[in-house]
Amino acid sequence: MNYALVTPCYIAVAALLSIGLYGVVSKRNLMKIFISLSIMETGVNLLLITIGYVPEGTAPIENANFTKYVDPLPQALVLTAIVIGLSVTALAIAMLISYYEKKGSLEYKGGMKW
Amino acid sequence: MVVHPVLLIAIPLIAAFIIPLAKKYGSAIAAGAMAFNMGYAIGMFSYIYSNGKIYEMIAGFKPPVGIFLAVDALSAMLALLINLFAFINFIAIGKEWNYKFSMLYLLAIAGSTGIVLTGDIFNMFVFFEITAVASYALIAGKKDEKAIEGAIKYMVLGSIASIFILMGIALIYSQLKTLNIYDIATRISSMDEKIKWASFALLLTGIGVEAEIFPLNGWVPAAYQGASSGVASLLSFGPSKAAIYAIARIMMVIFPFHATYEIALYVGVVTLVIGELAAFMQEDVKRMLAYSSIGQMGLILIAFSLASQNIQNALIAAFFLIISHASAKSSLFLLSRSPSMGGAACKYTGIVGVLSIIGMPPLAGFWGKWYLMLAAINEKLWLVIMLVFFAGIVEAGYFARYLHKSMGNESKLNLRYKVAMVVMVSFTILLGLLPIAYKMASLPLWGW
Repeated sequence: MNYALVTPCYIAVAALLSIGLYGVVSKRNLMKIFISLSIMETGVNLLLITIGYVPEGTAPIENANFTKYVDPLPQALVLTAIVIGLSVTALAIAMLISYYEKKGSLEYKGGMKW
Repeated sequence: MVVHPVLLIAIPLIAAFIIPLAKKYGSAIAAGAMAFNMGYAIGMFSYIYSNGKIYEMIAGFKPPVGIFLAVDALSAMLALLINLFAFINFIAIGKEWNYKFSMLYLLAIAGSTGIVLTGDIFNMFVFFEITAVASYALIAGKKDEKAIEGAIKYMVLGSIASIFILMGIALIYSQLKTLNIYDIATRISSMDEKIKWASFALLLTGIGVEAEIFPLNGWVPAAYQGASSGVASLLSFGPSKAAIYAIARIMMVIFPFHATYEIALYVGVVTLVIGELAAFMQEDVKRMLAYSSIGQMGLILIAFSLASQNIQNALIAAFFLIISHASAKSSLFLLSRSPSMGGAACKYTGIVGVLSIIGMPPLAGFWGKWYLMLAAINEKLWLVIMLVFFAGIVEAGYFARYLHKSMGNESKLNLRYKVAMVVMVSFTILLGLLPIAYKMASLPLWGW
């Protein structure tokens, strides 16, 4: 397997996931938290794409000239995941607007109270 | 094949997309779709009860390539439970809601049914997301400060959960190149040991957020407190039950190892004890019921985790605990809409619901705990038995206080609420009499 291309991708996945998780855990601003969640989602999508990668593979289109192509299934999964992520983000922003209208700020004050 | 389980998912989805086009008839369309689903789920359950498992290929592609639905007796029972209670609950709340709520309600029901029926792990993820997104919006629908705060909390944790589930799926796919649950199960031993456990941990953590398992349930009290009582009722019989069943399915089919059952047992015991103790300290009724739900989810997880040795007792226990909790807690949430519970219907609901959750014979909750004990005694788990008894005593304590405080003034609930509550809570009595009836007819309870 040709690791020259795959290794940087895995490093990027780890970086995106840890940046996102750091943001979710450390920030108090709700908008920043949702931005961090989007970053994490991008990390997972990149992981899926990297898993499906075949060295020197082309796009998975049926054609006599292409014999070696990348795994099409992860691409379909990522497409679904992107749509889901988009809808969650849209709903989150709608909710943040009404949160801002109620509280006058996007800072989250309360903790996870028991 | 005569029965098509896919209709249980397709009909509410189609109805949900039709509703915005016919706004005026929103709740009528939703009620129609749910009535169909309820009837179909009853038919499917009786078909499976006599004929055994069914598999349905979607679009004619054979597994492992195509997506398919795998329905066994337990999942048919859960689909029936979710759709039946969805319809009854909708009787109570449907009329005061506008078309948007009916739409979201249908989406949440379609998603929970899908989680229960699917045999494809990515499909399960998609249904989790449908359910979760619909629930966020439903919780926020009350539009006051608490509702939005609860919804945002749930949303942050739910989004992290979905990322974890997707990552677990990606790890499994990277090794086995398949998403079919049964295909994964047959080839799980060829997976790299570390990646196998990493994917199990990711899936358990991700689904555990939806299934209200400690320490992933920080959203539960805020969301239940903020949501209107109809939505809280939906959350307690729909998504959470589907999620706990998804954990059980993943544990029993994909990872049937000694260590996974042990992890689930510990997590379940900790969830039970902490949930019940936290419930004891609450002042607000909805918060108390929410923490009590957490404890009950722990109890259900314990029941599933005992399935490695005595599958029969453990699954019967899980069956009764799920029924008892779904019917009793949903009706108690409907009851919590009004602070007082005077009047015959409200008193009946409150007392029967509370007794079933505590585990008084002959209600369904008693049989759940009874079979759980039988399974635990078989495995000589004395500490677990002690803790379950302890949790029961704590439950009795706070529920007695709850009953004492809320008896009194006439309740202001309208008739639809009362009918829905009474019908829901009566299922615990009906199913509690089932084992006795079976015993008298000397039939085996384990009919499938």
